Amino acid sequence: MRIIVQKAKCQGHARCSAQAPDVFKLDDEGYILPGDIEVAEGEQRLASRGAQSCPERALELDRTPAARG
Amino acid sequence: MAANPVPDHVPPEMVRDFSLFTSPGMAPTPNGDPHAAVACVHAGPPIFYSPCNTRDGRGTWVITRATDQRRVLQDAESFSSHRSIFASALGEKWPMIPLELDPPAHGVFRSLLNPLLSPKRVTELEPAIRERAIMLIKRIAASGTSCDVMKDFAFPFAVNIFLRFLGLPDHRLDTFVGWAKDLLHGDDVRRPAAARTIVAFIDELAAMRCKEPVDDFMTFIVQTQVEGRQLTDEEVRGIGVLIFVAGLDTVAAAIGFDLAYLARNLKDQELLRSEPDRIALAAEELLRAYPTVQITRVATKDIDFEGAPIRKGDYVSCATMIANRDPAEFESPNTVDLAREGNRHAAFGYGPHRCLGSHLARREIVIGLEEWLARIPAFRIKKGTAPINYGGHVFGIENLILDWS
Repeated sequence: MRIIVQKAKCQGHARCSAQAPDVFKLDDEGYILPGDIEVAEGEQRLASRGAQSCPERALELDRTPAARG
Repeated sequence: MAANPVPDHVPPEMVRDFSLFTSPGMAPTPNGDPHAAVACVHAGPPIFYSPCNTRDGRGTWVITRATDQRRVLQDAESFSSHRSIFASALGEKWPMIPLELDPPAHGVFRSLLNPLLSPKRVTELEPAIRERAIMLIKRIAASGTSCDVMKDFAFPFAVNIFLRFLGLPDHRLDTFVGWAKDLLHGDDVRRPAAARTIVAFIDELAAMRCKEPVDDFMTFIVQTQVEGRQLTDEEVRGIGVLIFVAGLDTVAAAIGFDLAYLARNLKDQELLRSEPDRIALAAEELLRAYPTVQITRVATKDIDFEGAPIRKGDYVSCATMIANRDPAEFESPNTVDLAREGNRHAAFGYGPHRCLGSHLARREIVIGLEEWLARIPAFRIKKGTAPINYGGHVFGIENLILDWS
């Protein structure tokens, strides 16, 4: 699974990293680091919970076969 | 408060008899539920016009869907937050910073202040927050089996943490809370008087920290630079005043609403007491169900929004308590589900002005609940008493008397 990060939409709620700190890394201001995130097998549940908590809808789950690879 | 006449460009069929200030359930009411009272708007259109929906009786458009509020609040170019809401009480016009600045100036100050209130920084403050909570709750537990939560715990807890953050002495806590109460809930005489007192206090504090720097927030503000220059006196004041008023009663109100909910729902109370790992997620659900703030923006241009002719200068209200009860965004929005997942609540707003203090606020709420549940046995609303809830500019609760005898 891959998470598409729309960095410009991030407003630093940090709800994602509160639920999955190892998946969602923040900068010194508390905003998400740029770049899409490849999620490891064991972290998918927490990662999707984190992504689905974003009030700005800045994080999108990509479950297409290519993204699983 | 007298409503202004409805502007000519507002179609009469878009006007509704609804107001966060004057609708049924908004005035201070024993056992009232102002949050449930506003949830009625979702049966209606996505946007309507309320002729009297600010403290000074101005009309606003009201956005009812979470997705539309997100759209408005993310678009700071079309919907400005510069209203000089504090300065206007003094007949002046300067922005609270960063809240009342628009991009790009907003981003400069936001980047300056973000690291001071980031999740990482707040984690460093955690031991002090916990120590304060434990001290207050131990005192309450030792002195009986009942207390006034707001007076004995929520205010002395939240305000102390925040004063410590600002670098202010605790012994004036009651004075500061009094100023904030007058400012937020006072009449036409008390409100400007409180505003004047707070400005004088912040100016004096800034002057003192210029002369004798210490390791605190105001010293940082008077010494720091943006774009290669020091901050002007007005900027220092704008930041100081915002931090002062924003932190004074919102966290206390949230803790009050949360403990009132748990006092009335003993199963949920026992669940969190026996499984404290659930508290962090539960606190988010309680922030969703009982948020405190109405966010107002000013249109910077004419916009047709979901069929509504918003015109330049119109006020647009994005009430967090309305977004958070939107059935299109939240399943069973009027049910508190402490294990709710995918909770995209708007308690701290959307967009670039997302509450700067949100991480400190939620940490205080979580720690407050953790330590309270660990030290106070099964509690209820004391028989013969009724908490008083109110709506308005900032929703709140008073006279929350809990009993665990």
